[in-house]
Amino acid sequence: MRYSILLTMLLTVSSLFGADKVLIVDTTVVEQTNAELAAVRAEALKAKEEAQIATIQANEAREESQKTMDKLAQVKAQREEELATMAAQEEILRQNKSMHVSVIGQGVAPMNTSSPAQAYALAKRAAIADAYRAIAEKVKGVRIDGQDTIKNMMVQKSTIRTYVQAIVRNADIVETTFKEGLCEVEMEIVISHSDFAQ
Amino acid sequence: MRSRDGDSNFTLRLCSIIVLCSLSLSASEYLISYKYIVKDAILYNETLLISKSMKKCSGKPYSELVLDNYGQKNLKKIISQNSTLFIDYIHKLGLHVEHKEMTANLQNSSTTTLTLRTTCFKVDFNDSLARIYPLK
Repeated sequence: MRYSILLTMLLTVSSLFGADKVLIVDTTVVEQTNAELAAVRAEALKAKEEAQIATIQANEAREESQKTMDKLAQVKAQREEELATMAAQEEILRQNKSMHVSVIGQGVAPMNTSSPAQAYALAKRAAIADAYRAIAEKVKGVRIDGQDTIKNMMVQKSTIRTYVQAIVRNADIVETTFKEGLCEVEMEIVISHSDFAQ
Repeated sequence: MRSRDGDSNFTLRLCSIIVLCSLSLSASEYLISYKYIVKDAILYNETLLISKSMKKCSGKPYSELVLDNYGQKNLKKIISQNSTLFIDYIHKLGLHVEHKEMTANLQNSSTTTLTLRTTCFKVDFNDSLARIYPLK
């Protein structure tokens, strides 16, 4: 009987000790998990903050891109407006409507003329040719060809060639002035749509 | 009786008909071309060529010019006496414009050529006037 009581007491005491051990073990695990959880939470918080920052940055970038888009649209609209005004200002040949083209041609008298009258006549002829050229340029256009030669980072030769070819009919001389060897001829031409009909 | 040298009267008639026909067909038709070159704003060369047409021109007359003929029937002389008027008239008819300009190392040079391509003109000589029409 005594032994049995002793045994039970021992068992209870041992069980008590064992229970204490188990409890100790459980608390460390909980502490560990708590720490991990806290770390994970902190990381999550950090990630959240980062995500928030990223969203803010993305929003800012979006706003900036929106602003640039708006600016581009504005510039485009301005350009379109300018083009429209230019088109409105530029005279276009339309049906049943004639167009006046007025130019001034300049010519110089040669040095070896026998009289002022000859100088005037020759300068006038040159001025008429210049006026014809100007009309052809305005009505038909100019072909331009340019060439630059660069050697050792220096411009060696720069050439621009222009070429005009046209037929000019019914051009009228409006005014002729001759001053100090320079003759100026104001010339005018009336163009209608039918002149260009093929 | 027939003479030995054939029918001379017939030959004479035939020749006179040929001469008259040729005169009536091409005597009043002229080929005219005009060209002038302006180099660096100075008149460089001017050419006006007039010659009688050796064959009949086709086309209808338009845009008449009336000049005093000063009792002559020589178109070259008539035109030289009314050169300003005639050249203005040629300008009105229409000239080909060819302009070449070159700027090399900021130095500019230009050549402008105005040309009336060879055109057939019908010319009627009246009492004191010469009527000139281009044919088109």
